[in-house]
Amino acid sequence: MLWYKSWLETKPRFLTSLATLTVFCAVFVYQAQGFVRPEWTRDLNRLLFVNQQFLVIMWVLSVVLLGMGGIIREKAIGTSELTLALPVGRMRLLISRIGVGLLEAIALGLVPWLAVVSVMSIVRKPILASQVTSYVVLLVAGGLVFFAMGILVSSLVGGEYTAPALAFGIVLLVAIISDAWFREYSVWRLVTGDLSIDRSTFLLPQHLPWLGILASLSFALLMVAASVFSVQRRDF
Amino acid sequence: MTNEFAIITHALSKSYGKNAAVQELDLSVKLNRITAFLGRNGAGKSTTIKMLIGMIRPTCGSGAVLGGDITDTAANRDLRRRVAYVAEDKPLYGYMTVEQIIRFAKSFYPDWRTDVEEKLLQEYELPIERKVKTLSKGMRTKLALLLAFARRPDLLILDEPSEGLDPVGIEHLLRSLVAQAADGVSIFFSSHQIAEVERVADHVCILEKGRLLIDQSLDELRQSYRRIDLVFDSTAPEHEFRFSGVQRIEARGHHLSVLAQSNAEAVVERARCLNALSVEVSPVALRDIFLETVKEDRRALV
Repeated sequence: MLWYKSWLETKPRFLTSLATLTVFCAVFVYQAQGFVRPEWTRDLNRLLFVNQQFLVIMWVLSVVLLGMGGIIREKAIGTSELTLALPVGRMRLLISRIGVGLLEAIALGLVPWLAVVSVMSIVRKPILASQVTSYVVLLVAGGLVFFAMGILVSSLVGGEYTAPALAFGIVLLVAIISDAWFREYSVWRLVTGDLSIDRSTFLLPQHLPWLGILASLSFALLMVAASVFSVQRRDF
Repeated sequence: MTNEFAIITHALSKSYGKNAAVQELDLSVKLNRITAFLGRNGAGKSTTIKMLIGMIRPTCGSGAVLGGDITDTAANRDLRRRVAYVAEDKPLYGYMTVEQIIRFAKSFYPDWRTDVEEKLLQEYELPIERKVKTLSKGMRTKLALLLAFARRPDLLILDEPSEGLDPVGIEHLLRSLVAQAADGVSIFFSSHQIAEVERVADHVCILEKGRLLIDQSLDELRQSYRRIDLVFDSTAPEHEFRFSGVQRIEARGHHLSVLAQSNAEAVVERARCLNALSVEVSPVALRDIFLETVKEDRRALV
């Protein structure tokens, strides 16, 4: 039932994000494909790459928002006294939140791409399933670090506006700093596919940058561990 | 020893920087009793309760609730299965409906009493389809009480349980508390409504500035406290009554009012020796005992 509680808490944010991302991707691809002839496969591939760029921005903002809330926020609004009186540990509370958030993050990466595939099949334009899979894997596996950052921020800051403002500030800072000085290690470039895409064909290679994805996932795990550490030691 | 106590603490303390919220608290709450926890705002009642159920870590000292160490995370989690806690502001998830929050709470307690749930839903007239955030304060209090009563707890910890209830609701609550205690549930509750406390409590603990000032049964308190009104034919000799057990002396001309925590017989004896024209001994209400205790303590602290 803790998963159910987390679902009810995030449902409005999740459904709004899902609708926005799906409609945007579907409309964008539908409009843009009209200018591309089926035989121009390079341009079709490029269209999918551009779609991923837009999707990444909206997906990151959405998962950071999904990471907001939790027991520190509950402390600010008073319901932590109800939650913490339940016979469950604080770690289980956090795990249920992360579990639901994780599933929602996957859905937010997958459903808009399914909408793109649907649009392409309706307009009878070719689309490679392997490319779509690669984009989804890059987005979700590589981008979970942003969700973990949202969880960490919300485990430290309880303000309704302070926590998201801080989280979005960090996202922006990471984008600026990594783009300016660490382009080859930029998580943004990793999840958009910019680091691995073949510029001549606009196709992602068969082998994804697993080392980068692993590094990103490891960093996400570290942030989750820091969140657990913080919540376990806190007085409510 | 812990077998006879629902709650026991030893030198339990909590400080926030230099501010001591609770100081060396030695509390013992017996099983199957209704114990009232009284104190002014900021006396440390809520901090104590939160330490007991593991929301706050004590700075030092120890405590056990139903035999489980309050500082042991695993033991504390297990004891929360047997403890129902209703917090002061009756926090509930506003985004859930009444039905959803009952279903949610029910899932954590295998002993959930559906009969109690249904009975209270009917008595409290709670609209199950409505979102919790749309309920009135009184309704929220009723819902919080339903969630506590239906889980078959061994110990009920209630922080200001009657807050927000109308007189009918308060009456129902007090009767429910007595019925729960008769069923073998230990009840530990804080309240500012001393008249309610007097009606149901077996035992009273009074906390002031984080220190326990009184820990006595209500009957003992009522028997030991006496107000002795004396009238003399000349100016009342206030200094003659300053001895052990006398908590306060108020002199107004020929009239002297003595509040004795104990030793009332000695006061009467002394008054007779001093040829008092009138000696009247009367019991003291809990409200006056409370006010005198915290007033006395404030004076001592100044």
